[in-house]
Amino acid sequence: MGLYSLIIENKWVLELLYALAVSLICAVIVIKTDKFFRLSLHQGIRYFRNAFFFYGVAFIVRYIFGILSDLGFSSVYVVQAIFEYFLIMAGFFLLYSLVWRKFESSKEEYFSSLLNAKIAVFHLMALIIAVLDEAWHTYYFMFASQIIIFFYASIVSFANLRKNRNKHQFPKFYFVAMLLGLIAWTLNLLAPLYFNWNSGLLINVGIINVVFFLFFLYVVIKVTKIK
Amino acid sequence: MATKKRERLDVIRDILQTIRQNREIKPTRLLYASNLSPQMFKEYINELISKKFIKFDIDEKEKKTFSLTKKGQDFLMEYKVIENFIENFGL
Repeated sequence: MGLYSLIIENKWVLELLYALAVSLICAVIVIKTDKFFRLSLHQGIRYFRNAFFFYGVAFIVRYIFGILSDLGFSSVYVVQAIFEYFLIMAGFFLLYSLVWRKFESSKEEYFSSLLNAKIAVFHLMALIIAVLDEAWHTYYFMFASQIIIFFYASIVSFANLRKNRNKHQFPKFYFVAMLLGLIAWTLNLLAPLYFNWNSGLLINVGIINVVFFLFFLYVVIKVTKIK
Repeated sequence: MATKKRERLDVIRDILQTIRQNREIKPTRLLYASNLSPQMFKEYINELISKKFIKFDIDEKEKKTFSLTKKGQDFLMEYKVIENFIENFGL
């Protein structure tokens, strides 16, 4: 029995493990960064923390969506829209954590980083994208939005890598993580377009996703150990 | 050459380090050392007191001083880690 067929036969067990693993990684990152945010009130850390909070919730919702979908629930598309909304918001927060200085002054402080005048734009865009995918029964709008986000984030993190190449050890990991994200979303888009949702391809995307989150976890743990 | 404006986090570190070096410091001396306007200084001090990083004391001779709390000392220890985190992730 090949590895792919073994994975496909145990799909829901592995889906559960996948959702738990990613959510757990996200929870660790959120807890570690929340401590730093509370000490420093640094907005970049705040948005970074929010990104992983939304990723964690998205992967739990994704698992629920999978179960409901298999059970043939009629309102499963609402759960799909919720999953998309959380995932898109996570991407927005991750990108915004890198570029927030361009849009906010250091004196500007919002009571809530989840809902304020600037973040409301992201909520609106995420809702529109989720609704558009819902209306057309597709994922293309989400895939396209995430490819744009990760393409931009890759450029920003590459600029950061060039700036801090000799000063710090980890910007290269961050850049590689962004590239992995970009590759995963591009493969996600290609899967329905050219490969008819090929299971082998989707398993590889899942593996890239886990590596993406492990990269972040590794860097967060390593950086927070440096004194 | 123009100097880079201090980040909020750097200002907090500078204030806390000044207090730590002096153990206890008078408000006017801290204001001069912080290199801030009186208005900005007041804002930072109020924030540091509300976050329990520093405490304000008045003794029986009406002498007013700031000193560092345990939480303030912990912050100075963590500062390097936070700075590393921000720079490594480019946040």
